[in-house]
Amino acid sequence: MKKYALYPGCVMPTEQYAYELSIREVLPLLDVELVDTNGFSCCGEPMKSVNKMVTLYLAARNLAIGEKKEMDLFVPCPMCHFSLSECKHVLSNNNEMKERINGMLASENLAYNGTSEIVHTVDLLHDIVGIDEIKKHVKKSLKGLKLATHYGCHLIRPSEIGRPVDAENPQKMESILLALGAEPLYYPEKLDCCGAPILANLRESALTKTGQKLQRIQEQKFDAMVDVCPWCHKMFDSRQNKAGETVATKLEVPVLYLTQVLGIAFAVNKEKLGLNLNNSPVNKLNL
Amino acid sequence: MDKKIGVFVCHCGINIAQTVDVEALTKYASTLDDVVVSKDYKYMCSDQGSKLIKGSIRKHDLDGVVIACCSPRMHEHTFRNVVEDGGLNQFNLEIANVREQCSWAHESKEEATKKAKTLVRAAVAKTRMLESLTSSKIAVTPKALVIGGGIAGIQTSLDLANAGYQVSLVERSPSIGGRMAQLDKTFPTLDCSSCILTPKMMEVSNHPNIELLTYSEVIGVDGNIGNYTVKITKHPRYVDIEKCTGCGDCAAACRMKGRVPSKFDMNMGKRSAAYVPFPQAVPLKYTIDSEYCLFLTRGKCGDEPACKTACIQKAINFDQKAEEIERKYGAIIVATGYDLMDPASLYEYGYSHSADVITTLELERLISSSGPTSGEIIRPSDGNKPKSITFILCVGSRDETQYPWCCRIGCMSALKHVYLLREKVGEDVEINICYTDIRSYGKGYEEFYRKIRGIKSNFFRGRPSEVRNMRDHLKIDIFDTMTNKLFEIKTDMVVLVPALIPRLDANELTRTLHLSQSGDGFFLEAHPKLRPMDTFTDGTFLAGCCQGPKDIQDTVSQASGAASRAETILSKKELEIEPLIASVDEDLCSGCSICISICSFKAIELTEEKDGGSHAVVNEALCKGCGACVGSCPSGAMQQKGFKDKQLLPMVDESV
Repeated sequence: MKKYALYPGCVMPTEQYAYELSIREVLPLLDVELVDTNGFSCCGEPMKSVNKMVTLYLAARNLAIGEKKEMDLFVPCPMCHFSLSECKHVLSNNNEMKERINGMLASENLAYNGTSEIVHTVDLLHDIVGIDEIKKHVKKSLKGLKLATHYGCHLIRPSEIGRPVDAENPQKMESILLALGAEPLYYPEKLDCCGAPILANLRESALTKTGQKLQRIQEQKFDAMVDVCPWCHKMFDSRQNKAGETVATKLEVPVLYLTQVLGIAFAVNKEKLGLNLNNSPVNKLNL
Repeated sequence: MDKKIGVFVCHCGINIAQTVDVEALTKYASTLDDVVVSKDYKYMCSDQGSKLIKGSIRKHDLDGVVIACCSPRMHEHTFRNVVEDGGLNQFNLEIANVREQCSWAHESKEEATKKAKTLVRAAVAKTRMLESLTSSKIAVTPKALVIGGGIAGIQTSLDLANAGYQVSLVERSPSIGGRMAQLDKTFPTLDCSSCILTPKMMEVSNHPNIELLTYSEVIGVDGNIGNYTVKITKHPRYVDIEKCTGCGDCAAACRMKGRVPSKFDMNMGKRSAAYVPFPQAVPLKYTIDSEYCLFLTRGKCGDEPACKTACIQKAINFDQKAEEIERKYGAIIVATGYDLMDPASLYEYGYSHSADVITTLELERLISSSGPTSGEIIRPSDGNKPKSITFILCVGSRDETQYPWCCRIGCMSALKHVYLLREKVGEDVEINICYTDIRSYGKGYEEFYRKIRGIKSNFFRGRPSEVRNMRDHLKIDIFDTMTNKLFEIKTDMVVLVPALIPRLDANELTRTLHLSQSGDGFFLEAHPKLRPMDTFTDGTFLAGCCQGPKDIQDTVSQASGAASRAETILSKKELEIEPLIASVDEDLCSGCSICISICSFKAIELTEEKDGGSHAVVNEALCKGCGACVGSCPSGAMQQKGFKDKQLLPMVDESV
């Protein structure tokens, strides 16, 4: 039994329930225990353009809570994962900053030492649970299902701070999907942006990016798109209609979280996986 | 008896004088014990300066000289000659380095002057204890070994052979010619590469002074400048080169015909297992590829190997074994060339997942009329004529995550290809060049660049983020920093210009040849400006790209330079050996043998004494003067001449 403190972040528990539901269904089947912990705050990333110190402090605080509970953190949101990873990277290379942050954490009796590890859904499944273990739980092979993977940006860059997957040729989701019997195929637009980072400032450009990627996936006759980031998912799933209007195309691409796809292959009840919460036409899949 | 010492302080123009108060230093030196004369001069290394030193030696009957000047690496030899001319043994000289280790390193004149005084005081202390030493002599083997049969090795061998020296040219592959033989034309003159190279290859092959050892490798080097002992392995060709006439009947008959990827053609074409790498190969002798030959890999090739049946000369011999030979040489020239980075490691450029992404060297074989397509430009994936070709420069070069250096030939080779392609494929094919900067620094290069800019082609200044395989074409997004615009290029073929890197086995060769490598992995020259062909191993020289990226022009210049550097050794009957080596005080030595175990050069032996004891003896010809034995000696019996304890310890006393 592997045990992790679940660090939920903000998007998943407030609107992307399907990700959380499917995580809570699927991971225990793979012998991963998720522990809910009191006291976590924002990961810090949203504050970065305003105050980097606040970002570092908040990230370190969350890591320190993990250390206090003597648990590694499972961070399903790539943006939170990025913020915590960057904090670890900065504090392990800058002792002065580490002391300053620890000075601030002392008021809550917390301390950052860098002893807690952080994992994301992809490396937890691929590196820790392992492909062989996943294969053992497949009850319903997804044979013939053509899937387009989308990793998003935070999971792959920048390599210097250590990311769960390769920046240029990420393959871990593909290996997992292959284990389920599905066909994750190469498509040239795989690394294209979801559009979310510029949504607030350049709404139309953002939706164009979203729409173009989905359009290319539709043209290449994929059955569905699979992602692992609640921000990306919001663009491709919740905003699919708007994106379609922006690029003047009727888009009908089912978009699922990786954990939802795993749940389907493990024969978990669809409602428990939150499939009714997806806005994209997932019913098309007839699974 | 007290010594009479002279101190000479150099201003080095303002290099020393600006930061060190040279007059105060000179005056201070004159107050030191045993110093009978102290003088300063603007340039001590000039003719006037040496006259000053020589005159003072004679006038004051000096028996020790201290010169406060630049590093001994710069002028110790100059001043040793001056001291010798003045009538003293040259080893009665001590240099106080007040430039590199004082004036250049400090800003405060007061502090620097104080330090300079300490350095001079310490040098005077050592000089009091200096002894006259005599150099010994060793005979020189007047033969040279050249490693690598590319244009660098060929040029060096010819220069040395024409100067009358015996040369062995060792080449790993079956033919000499190297990278240059793979090229179609050369920039900026557009000479046909083989047309200018083949005559030189023939000259090598016919030269009475050159022994050509192809398909051979150097596996061990022992000994020193003037007297190297070298072990060479001759790989089995399975063809008797005395009998082989190069007729090619074996290759025509080979059952693997058209099935073996040709390394010479960068795997773009296929050949037989019995092969010559290219038609103009020297020597024109066939080789059987042990990796692919059916008989050698499976032990069976029909009833009898087809090549054996076909060869009327009966030259095929599958019983051949690797042969090891040992030779003596006076000098070694290393000309082992370069490798190209494998662009598959940069996944984003698509080399690993699209057949239509190729490298410059692969294009070179496609363009060549003796290449796999007889010079026809085709798209590898479907064999059709491409409508658009795009070059990406600096792939892996000038990239801190890959290779930070410039390959120095990429820009010019791509520009050359633009010209050749435009000539071959006509006006209707689009040619795009994505460059970082165009570096056209050589003679005639900028003019060539201008000429190419006049040819129909699109230049984008920037690095593409990705080459996308769109199945029927390739797509590149590039942000052009000249127009600040993002362009989308749809193209049929992409040519990558990959980084030029050290040979993949350079580390191994470094150990075999006792060389050093610079941080980038290329072989390290003794001085980047003043000794660019020398290495830190005396008698071993560098030529061509093994020392760093170079074009053909620079390679040939350096090759001739290396040959002339080697001649400075080969032309001598005997060499003087520096006497700054270890020596044993036999009375103190207990024969414990620690020094013998520590010596990397096998220069120390144990000798039996009459009374049954033993002591160490240093072989002066083998000792390199590294000092390891001196440090290890528990009794102080082992001493380094010129750096004895009694000479160094007073320096320490004066400095701290």
